[in-house]
Amino acid sequence: MRVLIVDDEMLARSILSEHLGKLDDIEVVGQAANGFEAVKLAEELNPDLMFLDIQMPKLSGFEVLELLGERAPAVIFTTAYDEYALRAFEVHAVDYLLKPVEPPRLAAAVERACERVRAKAPLPPAQALAQAARPPGRTLERILIRHEGRVHVLPVDRIDFIEAQDDYLSFSAGGKRLRKQQTMSEIETQLDPTRFVRIHRSFILNVERLARIDLYGKDSWLAILSDGTKLPMSRTGHARLKELIG
Amino acid sequence: MHPILTRRSRLLAYIGVWVAFGLLIALVLIYGGRAPTEWALKFAVPLAVLLGMQSLSFWYLVQSMPPGTPLPRMALSWLGAGLVALLLWLAAAYGWAVWLLEPGDPYREAAAGTMPLLVFAGAIGILLAVLGHYLAGAFQRSRAAERRALELQVLAREAELKSLRAQLDPHFLFNSLNSVAALIGQDATAARQMCFLMAQFFRKSLTLAREQAIPLAEEISLVETFLAIERVRFGERLRSRFEVAEEVREVCVPPLVLQPLVENAVHHGVAHLVEGGEVCVIARRINGLLEIVVENPCDPDRPPSRGTGMGIANVRSRIETLCGNRASVDVEAREDFFRVSILLPAAGTAETSETHERAAHA
Repeated sequence: MRVLIVDDEMLARSILSEHLGKLDDIEVVGQAANGFEAVKLAEELNPDLMFLDIQMPKLSGFEVLELLGERAPAVIFTTAYDEYALRAFEVHAVDYLLKPVEPPRLAAAVERACERVRAKAPLPPAQALAQAARPPGRTLERILIRHEGRVHVLPVDRIDFIEAQDDYLSFSAGGKRLRKQQTMSEIETQLDPTRFVRIHRSFILNVERLARIDLYGKDSWLAILSDGTKLPMSRTGHARLKELIG
Repeated sequence: MHPILTRRSRLLAYIGVWVAFGLLIALVLIYGGRAPTEWALKFAVPLAVLLGMQSLSFWYLVQSMPPGTPLPRMALSWLGAGLVALLLWLAAAYGWAVWLLEPGDPYREAAAGTMPLLVFAGAIGILLAVLGHYLAGAFQRSRAAERRALELQVLAREAELKSLRAQLDPHFLFNSLNSVAALIGQDATAARQMCFLMAQFFRKSLTLAREQAIPLAEEISLVETFLAIERVRFGERLRSRFEVAEEVREVCVPPLVLQPLVENAVHHGVAHLVEGGEVCVIARRINGLLEIVVENPCDPDRPPSRGTGMGIANVRSRIETLCGNRASVDVEAREDFFRVSILLPAAGTAETSETHERAAHA
């Protein structure tokens, strides 16, 4: 088994690799100190198993997993204490370790991971995990987009609007557009419903960007954004927006 | 609202007292003025109750002139108010007497003779009413003060509990233990050092939390211990700078106001930066106030941190409870930079109060 260790604390990485070194058939092939490095190393080294810390600079453990998508190896999460994450792991039956990790517990987790790798059991989707680990009442705050090999982190309050294009979503922010493979209904449920409204089958609007609403025809309206962009609005979309902004 | 009018039982008791006063006047009229019993009762009791109702208005005058109002102003106001009340009442008494005594009543001539007695009774009644109102006012004020003191105490306890809970941040505790576990295998001396630091930190925060106020230097030392522990975890990524003016080191501050801010700076600021950053603590005297500033860089793309602001809100509520509006907490959150500044009254220095005393003796 080839193993990648991801943790932003040097000592946490070193104790894990020390314990792993004592187990048979385990080879630590790499260590990453932050989320970006983790994504890069996971793709370059193609490990069988990844120990993944949750709270890290730049990208959280969940976000690393989301970016890796189907290329993600088997994962064992490590955390010192995170009540919501622990609940998410239990719900989705993902293996996790609490730091400081006791060697017998580590051995058992590695054993289970090996079985899973052999059985090729799929990981639960990172989105679902992250959703479950979010404290109650907290909605998606940033969007991760991979574009030409680079990772873009887009805080949701910078989004002007989101447009559906075939299998992709196009995020408009300050005149720039970023594309990501995701469905409209998926993103709609993750965003804060008091800030983002689906005004049309193909458009989600950041309410703060709305300048005015123009009547366009019978049962159709145009949302005019503060930068002058015009977006079509359906009857239900108009009703939703009206309900929100009164 | 007038306290006597807020409850039925109070109003009834109040009227009862005035009825008794009326009976007293009636007795004097009957035995001293040879008035017919029935007339005296009909005349005096309603008038006494009327005086009582009139006196209710004194409450507002009591409210506008609490104890401590300059004596001449108070005396003049009460003299004026008392005279007006008395004259009004006497006019009512005259009207009432004329109404009750039909022409030809044998007592009609004698009734005029009761005037001096009525003036006397009215004056006594008004005087008693004013004194009573002042007593009631004082009672109410002391009750309110008691309640406020109790509220303050509860708030302070709550803040203490919250700060203790914040001290025992589970992330901090378990991550530090993890560092110790890792160090034991690599560098036993460093592991031992880390245990000492943690013991120091927990002992200090436990003792400090019990104090009302501590010299700033002690809080700084707690923060230094905290940063030393975090530096074992974060390594080179965590840097710190202290700019503490010598003259403010002995200024007294509420305990655990600086530490939560530095903890925020580390966990929500520097910890999210790949290259790390510098936490800067500044303390100085400005216009007779103590200013404490904590600055740190932060990641513009950082996820909204869980519980940021909790620490700050806690510090703010504590400082406001303890120092009232003489203190303030300002937060400046920019894209890549975070700063909290606290202004506290700097007068509570143990040293300066002693020097004042010495100066006074000299």
